[in-house]
Amino acid sequence: MDFRWSIIEGYAPLFAKGVLMTFQVSLISIVLGTILGLLIGMLRLSDVTRGLWKWPLRAGRWVAGFYVAFFRGTPLFVQIMLIHFAVMPALVHPQNGLLISGELARIIKQDYGAFLSGTVALSLNAGAYISEIFRAGIQSIERGQSYAAASLGMNYGLTMRYVVLPQAFRRMLPPLGNEAITLLKDSSLVSAIGLAELAYAARTVAGTYARYWEPYITISVIYFAMTICLAMLVARLESKYNAPHRR
Amino acid sequence: MSKTFFRHLRALALTAGFIGMLGLAGCGKQEDKPAANADAPAAQAAARVYLVGVESAYAPFSSENEQKEVVGFDIDVMKALAKKIGIEVKFVPTPFEGFFNFLAQGDRDLLISAITITDERKKTVNFSDPYFIATQAIAVPAADTRVHKMADLKPLAVGTQSATSGDELVQQVLGQNNPKIKRFDSTPLALKELESGGVDAVVADEPVVKNYIANNPGSKLRTVNDDSFPKEDYGIAVRKDDPELLARINKGLAEMKADGSFAAISAQYFGK
Repeated sequence: MDFRWSIIEGYAPLFAKGVLMTFQVSLISIVLGTILGLLIGMLRLSDVTRGLWKWPLRAGRWVAGFYVAFFRGTPLFVQIMLIHFAVMPALVHPQNGLLISGELARIIKQDYGAFLSGTVALSLNAGAYISEIFRAGIQSIERGQSYAAASLGMNYGLTMRYVVLPQAFRRMLPPLGNEAITLLKDSSLVSAIGLAELAYAARTVAGTYARYWEPYITISVIYFAMTICLAMLVARLESKYNAPHRR
Repeated sequence: MSKTFFRHLRALALTAGFIGMLGLAGCGKQEDKPAANADAPAAQAAARVYLVGVESAYAPFSSENEQKEVVGFDIDVMKALAKKIGIEVKFVPTPFEGFFNFLAQGDRDLLISAITITDERKKTVNFSDPYFIATQAIAVPAADTRVHKMADLKPLAVGTQSATSGDELVQQVLGQNNPKIKRFDSTPLALKELESGGVDAVVADEPVVKNYIANNPGSKLRTVNDDSFPKEDYGIAVRKDDPELLARINKGLAEMKADGSFAAISAQYFGK
């Protein structure tokens, strides 16, 4: 097997920019997905038996349920394609965009179109999975904690903020780390809509030279290094939040 | 030996045995393969169906109709050619990414899909004599006034199909590491991106661009031709280790051109 590593050298700047872009897309999607997941997860767990908010909350729960089902039930690749080629052109269009139109739409579409679509798709997808992680984490805290908080006079918001969520967070760290690593690798799918990230660089080299070992081994090593770093980061967070050892 | 070792001895032995078996199976396969490959051509030459790889998103050369059958200029040429040289062919839609690898690995026997003959590709596969001459064209929004020739594309965002000769051309003009080159899996996707404003121009094979614009009047695109675009020859790709098939194909193509059947197909699609 003869390797022609020289073909990578010619495209090295593309690989370097690709690493940066992958990092950016993954970071933003993880952060947004976590926030979205927290909100959706709490929404699905909440209920109000009487009063003004009963029906709006139940409607919101239904919408959240549908959102989670859709984004877990369709392939991420399909979601990326749909959002970039169908949803975004309807929302952001120079002529008749529903959300943004005119010159701003043109600038956004030109310079950030693929980045925006990719990040939106990844965030929505991550939000759906993370909402289930949050739901599991919150539900795993035994009810005694909430009763004790109530007996101290805390309302729902205070209970969540000071008693339940901090404990739940510790339990959720391993699956959240999992989701972050998965998201990092799934960001490679965004290369299909032309975003110049890492997998895109490999596909460019492979396309130009019809050689597959060199570019794909290169990005495998890079992705592996990135996920190892991420895993180490999560491990450090876990040890930081772990209950101290009893002597 | 520690107690822990003996406790886990059974599991360890099973794992070692399993891995050993996999290794043996792997070695066995390697040794069988070369022998099998030597017999295969002889046995298969008799009544085999040649798998022809086509990228079926490239109208008018190859595309899928409503019945999910592959149709187009390339298909008709290949069918007529197959009849002439007496082989049976079956068309298999193949993604353009890794197109030549499919052929080199043996998953396809022939490739026909408006493939430009280039020196880089000749390193991986052999090509037949040219059967079509085309150039690239630039597709721009109908209202565009900036682009009149290739050099005008330098400051713009340009879309192409990954791994095509158009992609190569754009890389030459904009630079291979330019992040403003947006590569897509297929030309229709690139043109869709042009329509929604994600790129300023698309460089692709002229017949395909013209066909897309003609069939999608709502797309509001037009073509810009640059005479400095090199003329490209389309060829049929054949594996490097199959020279006799290549010779038969070249003979068949020559016969088709001589007896006018090629001209008939060409007239049907391109009117000349």
